Amino acid sequence: MMKSSFFASASALCLGLVLSLGVGSQANAAANCIKGDRKAPYTIGWADIYSVPTWMKQTQGTIEAEVETLKKQGLVDKLVVTDAQGDANVQIQQIQSMIDSNVDAIILIAGSSTAPARVLADACAKGIAIINFDSLVDTDKVTAKVNTDSAQWGDQAAKFLIDAIGGKGKILILNGPAGVSVSDDRRKGADAALKAHPDVKVLAETNTPYNVAPAQEAVTSLLFANPEIDGILSLGGALSAGAVLALDKQGREQVPITGENARQFLELWKDKGLKSWATMQPNWLGAFAAYTAVQALEGKDVPAFVKIPLPVIDNSSIDGYLARAKDFPADGYIYSPYDEALFKKLLVQK
Amino acid sequence: MSTIPSATPAGALYWPVQARRNIGVRSLFVVVLGFLIAYGVLFPGLFTASGFAKFTQSWFPLALVAMAQAILMLTGGISLAIGATVSLGAVIAATTMAGPLGVAGGAAAVAVTGLGIGAATGFIVVRLRLPAIVVTLAGSFIIGGAALLVLPRPGGSIPEWLSDMLAGNTPAAFVILVLIVALWKLYLATPLGLSLYASGENPVGAYRSGVPVDGARIAAYAISGLLSTGAGLFVAAQTGSGDPVIGTAFTLNSIAAAVLGGIGFLGGQGTMRGALAGSLLLSLMISVMFFLGFTPVAQYVAQGLIIIGAVAIPQFRKVQQ
Repeated sequence: MMKSSFFASASALCLGLVLSLGVGSQANAAANCIKGDRKAPYTIGWADIYSVPTWMKQTQGTIEAEVETLKKQGLVDKLVVTDAQGDANVQIQQIQSMIDSNVDAIILIAGSSTAPARVLADACAKGIAIINFDSLVDTDKVTAKVNTDSAQWGDQAAKFLIDAIGGKGKILILNGPAGVSVSDDRRKGADAALKAHPDVKVLAETNTPYNVAPAQEAVTSLLFANPEIDGILSLGGALSAGAVLALDKQGREQVPITGENARQFLELWKDKGLKSWATMQPNWLGAFAAYTAVQALEGKDVPAFVKIPLPVIDNSSIDGYLARAKDFPADGYIYSPYDEALFKKLLVQK
Repeated sequence: MSTIPSATPAGALYWPVQARRNIGVRSLFVVVLGFLIAYGVLFPGLFTASGFAKFTQSWFPLALVAMAQAILMLTGGISLAIGATVSLGAVIAATTMAGPLGVAGGAAAVAVTGLGIGAATGFIVVRLRLPAIVVTLAGSFIIGGAALLVLPRPGGSIPEWLSDMLAGNTPAAFVILVLIVALWKLYLATPLGLSLYASGENPVGAYRSGVPVDGARIAAYAISGLLSTGAGLFVAAQTGSGDPVIGTAFTLNSIAAAVLGGIGFLGGQGTMRGALAGSLLLSLMISVMFFLGFTPVAQYVAQGLIIIGAVAIPQFRKVQQ
């Protein structure tokens, strides 16, 4: 009696072990959150945090284009779009609605780096593919996160500027809004290079929204206070455009400045013959997120974090970007070209 | 107006009085009911325990801030600091509850902060006779700054069990809301509560009749602060963490909900049930429009039309009368 129950429990244990091993290896093959019970064509939910800024509109444009391609391949049948109007609480509610309506994939730019974590865990438990890009959430309950490296952005920008002003001089630093992860991270990334060059003196720093007008205003008042400026470390394209305009309006000489692929800034760069460098947060992150979601749902292995290398614009490549300018809105961003081959390559790299 | 409830309403008089107070918000109730039915049809999962729980959790913080704003507007005040106070409540909860203070200590810290901020604001507005809109605008910067000092960037944590209890698959949030509404009813029966409407509608007359006008108004600010940080605590539990700017949108939404609910800017006009219905409508709209498949642009337009409609219908009635 005792013996047989011992054997029974032992064999049950073995069976359990075998089963869990089996399940484990299966889970290894599929990407995070994916259970394999969802079949094409898929419904993709795009949980936008705020649809009004031009960058967001262009990003949505790349998502829609990608979804059209996937529709032709029979992989996607519907794209559902929500706009939280900047409110992280509304975004949570909208993600909940996406779960309730049983979408197959959610791609999102998070309105808060912490707030959506719990609702995403619910979605993940239901086998929904979640691809989080641009503004990321502090959770591993997603299929994949996709982003460029903001710290690297700050680091490369600082190194270019320090080099451009010959390793010493007085500079301004233009940041995005305070308390926002992206602007914090870019700024932190610049720290090491600045510390390594004590001769580079930071005169002042600004925190403004990523818009031309407030940046121009902030720089204008700093110009009054600082007659001597050797360079501007700007960590956003609209900020750079605002700074260049501010210098121009006051009749001051242009100084080396860093920037981003904002069309206005790139045109000013060419127009004023600036000594400059720019990188970008490519809008096609959105298209890539949609592509990755479908790959994961199709059972492909998807890395938990896809780091997108920063495309760099310098004096040798700016003409190529400006040649395509007419395809982009006047206040938009000229992003680097992309295709499926690039996406495949990005997914393979670990 | 019969908005001043008599101390001991005779049973026979109670329901007619309540019915008369509903007149202004009856059309809103119809609109809300229509949306609720639409939501139930579009998403039958609403009638499961977890579906109902998730839905009420989306509504709950907005309901609290709508009450926080309504209680001030009833006394003729207003607050532009509600969003910042929600944020502060959230970051205090997220930084204390997982630490040595524990959940009870953290909740106490949140409550004391809310009451303190509210009472201080009320004291400045009422005793120094400064315009509420200016004081609370300045207050929103101070409180918002304090939230960023407590937690410079999103983080902190809330014990998992508390998150699961308040924002899991049980309708705990709804039960708490019912309790808060019951407490509100009780409050209206206390001397301070009784003075609330009188202080808002006709402060001079109320003062001359011996109503503690200043006390009622300061108490209203304190309660408003408590409700706001309480909403913050809930948001922290719901999200499992703190975010120093999570509450920003609540300032405007609280005013929208209160106005939608028929609460006047001049004080003494409107009912709490109206404000609650207003907040429910704002919350329902988001989910219903999602299920109807509205595009974001169409949502912006529809939202505006619904709000104008809900506010305008009773006005049409008045004009016709």
